[in-house]
Amino acid sequence: MVCDITGVGAVAAIGASPAEIHRALCVGRSGRAPLRAFDASRYRARYAYEIDDRPSTGDQPGRATRWLCQVIDAALADAGLASSGADFPVLVGTTMREQRSVELWWTERQPLTLADLHFGSALAKRFGSRRTYTFANACAASLYALGLATDLIESGQEDTVVVAGTDSITESAFGMLDRVQNLVPDALRPLDKTRRGMLMGEGAVAVVLRRTGTDRQRLATVRGVSMNCDAWHATAPRAETIAGAVRQAHERARVRATDIDLVMLHGSGTDLNDSTEAAVLADVFDDARPGPWMTAIKSATGHTLGGSGLLSLVVAVFAMRTGIVPLTVGLTDPVDEAAGFRLVRGESVTADVSVAQIDAFGFGGVNAVAIVEGSR
Amino acid sequence: MRTVVVTGAGLAVPGMVGIQDLVPPGPARSGGFDPDIALCGRRMRHKDRASRFALGAVEPSLRDAGLCDGAALAGAATVVSTNFGNLDSVCSFAATIRSGSVVDLSPVGLPHTSSNCTAGWVAIEFGLSGPSLTVCNGATGGLDALFWAGNLIGAGRAEVAVVVGVEPHTDAVAALHAIDGAESWLDGAVAVVLESAEHAQDRGRRARAELAGYWRAAEVSEVLRPARAALAEPIGRYLADQQTGLADADDLTARLGRCSGALGVLQCAAAVAWLDRGNTTPVLAVSGGTSGEQADGEAVAALLLTPGGQSAERAA
Repeated sequence: MVCDITGVGAVAAIGASPAEIHRALCVGRSGRAPLRAFDASRYRARYAYEIDDRPSTGDQPGRATRWLCQVIDAALADAGLASSGADFPVLVGTTMREQRSVELWWTERQPLTLADLHFGSALAKRFGSRRTYTFANACAASLYALGLATDLIESGQEDTVVVAGTDSITESAFGMLDRVQNLVPDALRPLDKTRRGMLMGEGAVAVVLRRTGTDRQRLATVRGVSMNCDAWHATAPRAETIAGAVRQAHERARVRATDIDLVMLHGSGTDLNDSTEAAVLADVFDDARPGPWMTAIKSATGHTLGGSGLLSLVVAVFAMRTGIVPLTVGLTDPVDEAAGFRLVRGESVTADVSVAQIDAFGFGGVNAVAIVEGSR
Repeated sequence: MRTVVVTGAGLAVPGMVGIQDLVPPGPARSGGFDPDIALCGRRMRHKDRASRFALGAVEPSLRDAGLCDGAALAGAATVVSTNFGNLDSVCSFAATIRSGSVVDLSPVGLPHTSSNCTAGWVAIEFGLSGPSLTVCNGATGGLDALFWAGNLIGAGRAEVAVVVGVEPHTDAVAALHAIDGAESWLDGAVAVVLESAEHAQDRGRRARAELAGYWRAAEVSEVLRPARAALAEPIGRYLADQQTGLADADDLTARLGRCSGALGVLQCAAAVAWLDRGNTTPVLAVSGGTSGEQADGEAVAALLLTPGGQSAERAA
């Protein structure tokens, strides 16, 4: 059984809707800018891909929560369900949840209540939702949430589930990554030999998932989502289990490597992730000629953390609907492991994409891969 | 839906030895888990307090379930429920940067910027390479985690799931609890092992309890109604706090303080301990509702547990 995506919403540094984000990606626009709210003198890295919505007085709590409500609102409206009043389960994938709000409380005494720590309180107030879940599952969180949502629908427990992701930048995570990265990146450059590491982005994304056949209109179909864990290292990726996640996704979706037209890379721009991911994909798609188109969005949006997998998925959906696959911004000298890949770089390509694979890997060794099919 | 059972449970709670200490009147003897000793050692190094507690609970739970070798645990899922878990690291790192710069940070703290660090450490230590899920869902988180672990097994994504509830005590955490005036809180962890009934049977392992239902709604009455109607026999024991208005309910928070994300998993372990004593009636765990950790009317969750092996008997 499969599930249909019938509504989408998204916000990132490069756009306030999925269409706007896709358009910006297609013309190679990036949301990279100097740090907006942090005291840059205390960091080595000076750039991020932030949403520019803070007041002039400084940073404020609750931004990730606010964007989450915004994109769920948009997705429900897009799906024609906004006024239905129904209490759909809402599954939210995040890396930071409201850790930024905790930081602002601890260091600046900005207001905080314990209910702010998870998104359920805001979702109950805004949408009357009771069956809400905050999964703080690092950078595979939103694809994990998607997989869990498909399980809920396929088991017959639900007909409709809202899946979302959101994250806002935190000093602790931005700073700690800055501390450990050997080189100081001034931009996030997936798959490029000159890449120097990841930089954070901000954003939120939501999709409405429905049992197949419930609606006449569907934007795309989720064929399957895999999830596993390296159980190996706290932060470094492991090729073997990542390959396992990719193959498991193909099996669940009942597709072969040759059926995949487009891969949305996790492409976080780190030395380890990009070389590991490229090596795994080279192996998986070895017999597929000419092989799928491959692109990555993080050089335009930054690494939007928990929501990044679902955001890449929404971009894939738009690529399938518009026939335009966006380029990977800033990719000029691809790594050797990517030799033979059909990378979209320099300019976007017009392509007939039916089936897309979306990769998401995170700290704690979490991996999730989704297979999505377009609709015409 | 596949039947999901509990085959093991373990604690890392100061003063307690095992899950029987969760049943009133509490620990029969002095001693029990001592964090000052048990949270030290080589394998605890470079891990935050919550993660160390979690390791201390998972180990006895796996021993209790008879799952001690790597092959049996490959593909097992990890589900952790915590709300305060890594917040001490978040506060500490932010303060360090503000009083100096990123250069003053110790790189070993990197994993603890992410709330799923505990799940990561548990998976690494015990080789759990199935799905890894961290639930940060307020006061209902523990019961929610059990629901999702059951779903992972039900969907065939794992045959075994280790479910952990953990909340640490640190200075930052104490300050967070003080926001709404809480006076005592858990500093510890609990772990239960869930399995598909077939997998437990194939291993020749006794099912100690069975997950028989889960509900989530705005108020207590909205979960009690369906929970009571779920089985022909009446619920024999409730695990809940006084706000639920259930007169004879066992309130773990009265003994342990605020348990937050760990509460539901503690309730499950307490239910298993009660059933282990030969009790045979269904047990209902309820958490959430009015609490400083949730918006008013946000949600109440309930999990129904029956003695292990009942569904097989009912089917026969």
